Amino acid sequence: MVSTNKKKVKPRPLLFPHFCKACGRCITACPKDCIEMGTEIDPVTGCTPVVIDRSLCNDCGLCLTACPEPYGLVPAPQDTEDFELQDPEDLFGARRTTAPEPISIPDERLPLPPLESMILKGNHATAIGAVLAGCRHFFGYPITPSTEGAELIAKLLPELDGMFVQAVSEVAAVNMMYGCGGAGLRCMTLTSSPGFSLMLEGISYMIGAELPGVFFNVMRGGPGLGNIGPEQADIKLVCRGLGHGNTHAIVLAPATPQEMLDLTIVAFDLAFEYRNPVILASDGYLGQMTGRVRLPEFIVKPGLPDWGVYGDEMHRRNLNTSIILIEPDLEKHNLHLNRKYQQMSDAEQRSDSFRCENAEWIVIACNTPARMAKGAVQELRGRGINAGLFRPITLWPFPIDAARSVLRGVKGVLVVEAGPGQLEDELRLALSHAGVHDLPRIERLRHHGGVLPQQQEIVEAVSELAASVPTGGAA
Amino acid sequence: MSVFYERFERHAHGEGLKGHATHYCPGCGHGLIHKYVAEAIDELDIQNRTIAVSPVGCAVFMYYYLDVGNTQAAHGRAPAVAVGHKVANPDAILLAYQGDGDLASIGLGEIMQACQLGLPMTFVFVNNAIYGMTGGQMAPTTLPGQVTTTTPTGRTRFTGQPLRMAEIVSQIDGPIYVERCALFDAKQRTRTKKAIAKALRLQVEGKGLSFVEILAECPTHLKLTPSEAEQWVKEKMVPYFPLGVKKDEEGERWFEPGPPSFDPGDVVRVISGTDQPPERFGDGFPSHIDEKDISLKFAGAGGDGAQTIAMLTTKAALNEGWDSTHIPSYGPESRGGTSYADVRIAVDEVLSPSSPHPQILVAFNPPSLEKFGPTVSPGGIVIYDRSVIPEPPTLDPSITMAGIPCTEIARGLGKRMVKNVVALGALAEAAHLFPRDSFLLTLRQALKQNCALLDLNEQAFDAGAQAFDDVMSAV
Repeated sequence: MVSTNKKKVKPRPLLFPHFCKACGRCITACPKDCIEMGTEIDPVTGCTPVVIDRSLCNDCGLCLTACPEPYGLVPAPQDTEDFELQDPEDLFGARRTTAPEPISIPDERLPLPPLESMILKGNHATAIGAVLAGCRHFFGYPITPSTEGAELIAKLLPELDGMFVQAVSEVAAVNMMYGCGGAGLRCMTLTSSPGFSLMLEGISYMIGAELPGVFFNVMRGGPGLGNIGPEQADIKLVCRGLGHGNTHAIVLAPATPQEMLDLTIVAFDLAFEYRNPVILASDGYLGQMTGRVRLPEFIVKPGLPDWGVYGDEMHRRNLNTSIILIEPDLEKHNLHLNRKYQQMSDAEQRSDSFRCENAEWIVIACNTPARMAKGAVQELRGRGINAGLFRPITLWPFPIDAARSVLRGVKGVLVVEAGPGQLEDELRLALSHAGVHDLPRIERLRHHGGVLPQQQEIVEAVSELAASVPTGGAA
Repeated sequence: MSVFYERFERHAHGEGLKGHATHYCPGCGHGLIHKYVAEAIDELDIQNRTIAVSPVGCAVFMYYYLDVGNTQAAHGRAPAVAVGHKVANPDAILLAYQGDGDLASIGLGEIMQACQLGLPMTFVFVNNAIYGMTGGQMAPTTLPGQVTTTTPTGRTRFTGQPLRMAEIVSQIDGPIYVERCALFDAKQRTRTKKAIAKALRLQVEGKGLSFVEILAECPTHLKLTPSEAEQWVKEKMVPYFPLGVKKDEEGERWFEPGPPSFDPGDVVRVISGTDQPPERFGDGFPSHIDEKDISLKFAGAGGDGAQTIAMLTTKAALNEGWDSTHIPSYGPESRGGTSYADVRIAVDEVLSPSSPHPQILVAFNPPSLEKFGPTVSPGGIVIYDRSVIPEPPTLDPSITMAGIPCTEIARGLGKRMVKNVVALGALAEAAHLFPRDSFLLTLRQALKQNCALLDLNEQAFDAGAQAFDDVMSAV
C-alpha cells in the first residue's frame, strides 16, 4: 500500500529520484539529518533530487509525511530487497484504478391506475410531471412567476422521501444540479428569466461535463428586472446563449397546462438519452394558467446510469469534469458534442400544425401566443381566409423539416411573438441553414413587456397580409 | 489497493513521469494534503463511498490522483456541487477541497449556505494567502502589506482585510467541527493529518459538517524556497490566522434520509390522484350565452376574492365536462394591487385563453368597472358590487347591469370576506352558467379543510342569487 504507512510497521524510506522535485521538505523533517540536497542533476527531470544516507536512518517515517509527492518518498516494500532495481510501474502498478467497470441499471415504467384528469395551474402541472417522471430531487430559488411549481414540489417530494433544497441563489441551484445530475439522478429546477440568466454558467459546465438536468424557465418581461408579465424574450438565450462555449440543449416550448406536464416528462427522458440539460421554456401566462390535465398511464422509476459519480464502488472510476487541458483533446470533445447536437437536430424536432393543409397564410407562434393564434386561425377560416398555425414545440432544434413542408407554396407568413423577434430569428436561421432562400413574405406581430398579442390583432394582421399580397403571388 | 491511482492516466495521458508525479510545484502544500486525505480515506475504509469535489485553482486536477469518485466543480461552486451529490446519495462521503480564492472569494455564498445546511460533509480549505493558478494575484486571505501581482505595493486598507474563514464558519450553527492547521513542521503536519481524518470520520458517523482550514505554502508565488515558505507561514500567517480547534460540538447522527419512493400507489396518494369522476349537474353547454365559447372576466382589488371565484367558475366548468382555462393577472405584487382573472369556457377546446371582450364581467371596485366595463360584449352581463360602486358608468344599453350589494350582504352574514361568493351566486343566477349544485361542489372541494365555512358560503351564494332576482324585479 503506497499511500499509507501503518504505524506498526516502520518502513524504510525509498526514493525514486525521478519523482523527487527537490523541494527539500524531507530534509527539515528528518531528525537524524540523514537527508541532504543532492548535487547531481537528474537528466530526466532536470531537478537535483535529495540523497538519503540510510545508515543513519531510524525509520521514524517523518520524511514520508513531509514529502508532497504521492510516489516521491514512499515506504519501501518489506518483502523484497532489490526494489531499487524495479521499474516503478511494476512497483506501483500500471492500471489507473482497480475499480470495477460500471454497468447501467435501466429505467422502468410502472403502470399508473387509470385516474381522472386533474385541474392544474401550469406551474403545478410541471411539478406533478416531474414527480411522475421519477424526479425526487429539486433545487431552486424562489422567483415570480415560477414559484408555485417549486412550492408544490417542496410539499410533494418529502412525502416520497425525495429532497427539496432551496438554494442560496440560482448560481448555487444549478451547481447542486451539477452534483445531483452528475450522480446520475433525475433532478430539476424551476426559474424565471433573471434566475435563468444566473444559471447559464452552470448550464455551460453541465453541457461540457455531459450531465443531465431539467431546467424550466417561465419567461417573464425583461431586460433587467423587467416585470412578471409573460414574455418570450429568452428564446435567443435558450437557443443560442446557454453560457460560454459550444453549447446547445433541446428547448421545449409548451402551450397548455397539459403540455407543461407532458413535456416535463419528455424532458427527463431526453436529458438522460443525450446526457445534456434540457430546457423547458414557457411564458409567465402559461405558468399561471389553470386548465384540465390528463395523467399518463405510467410513472418512471429511474435506474442508475453507468457514467454517474454516485459515491459507490460501481461508479468509483467515473469523473465529471468540463476541463480538458490538451487542445486536441478539447477539440475532440467538441466534435463529439457537435455529433450529439446533430443527433438532436435530426431526431428531436417537434411541432404542431393546425389547419395547415392547403393554407395560404401561416401564423407561426409558440407558447401562449400560439393559443391566441389558434383562435385567430379558426376565426380567419370562418371568414374564408385560408390560414393555418405552425407551432414549434422544440425551439432548438427548430422543427425545420416540418416548417419547410408547411411553408411550401404558402403566400405569406406572420410570426407572432410576445417578444422582440427571437422566434423569427430562429425561423430565418433554420431556413437559411436548410438552404431555403425562396421565402414567402414574412411579416410579424410583436409585443413586449408582458403584453400578449391578442386574437383580434392576429386576425387583422393576417387579413392585411392577405389583402396586400396579390393573388397568385405565392413564393 | 491504494487511494491514489496506480497511474495518473488523466495527467497528460499518464505519459512519462506524469504517470506518477503531480502537477504541483516543488514544496507546494497541496501534495501533502492530498496524501493525508488519501490516508484518511484508506484508514476509514471509505474509498468506494468517497466523492472528491475538485475546485478551480491549483487543485483543479485533484481528480488526476485520488482513486475515488471524482467531480470537478465550477469556480467557487464546490460546496453546492457537494450538496447535490450528498442529497443524491446520502451514503456517499463528500470531500470538497477548495483554495482561498475558490472558497473565500468567488464561492462565499456557496460555502456559507453549505455550512448553514450543515449536511454531513467534509470541507478542506487550503489557505496559502495567494492565487496560485492564475499567477500570484491577491487572495481574500492575502496578508496586510503582502505584495502580490495585483497589490504591487503591498495589500493596503483599500484592498480589504484578510478573511479568517475558520472563525467565520465556526460562528455558523451548521458545522460541528472547525479547526485551522498548518504544514510547516512535523508537529503541524501530524495535526493536519489527524484533523482531516476526524473531519471525515464525523461525516462517516453522520454527525455533521466539518471544516478544516490548512495554512499551506506556495513557494512559487511567494518567491521563496520551500523551507523559507514554511518559515513564512509560521512567522507571518500564523499570527494573523491562529491555529487550533475553533469548534468541536460532536453530537448525534442526524442525517439518515430513506431512499425515495417510486411506488405508483404512493405517487397517486401524494399527487391526490383519484379515479372518481366529479359529479355533473348540468344538462348541456350554456349555449344561451355563446354557442361554444364563453368569455368571463373577474376584477377587483387584491383581496377582494375575484381570483377565487374565477377559479371556482373554471373548476365548475371542467367538472361539467367542458374545457376551461383560468388566468390570473395581478398588479405589481400578488397582494394589495389590482387583480383580475380571465376565464374561458369552451365546448371542445379553449383556443385563446384571454378575455379581451368578456360576455360576463364581475367587478368589485370602481377602477375595475371603469377599465373593463367598456370591453364587455354587447348583450353581456355585468355584476358589480353596489356597496362600493354607487355610481356605475353608463355602458352599452344591451348590457345587463346588476348592482349587487355584495359587501353589505356579506357583512350581514357576519363575514365580509364572503362578498365574492355573494357575487358568484348573483353570477350563477344571472347567467345560468351551471346549476347551483355545480358551484356548491366546487365550493366544497375548495373548502375541504374547513367544513365550518361551508354553510356560510352556501348562504352567501344563495343570498347573491336572491339579490340578483330582487335587483332585476325592481328594474
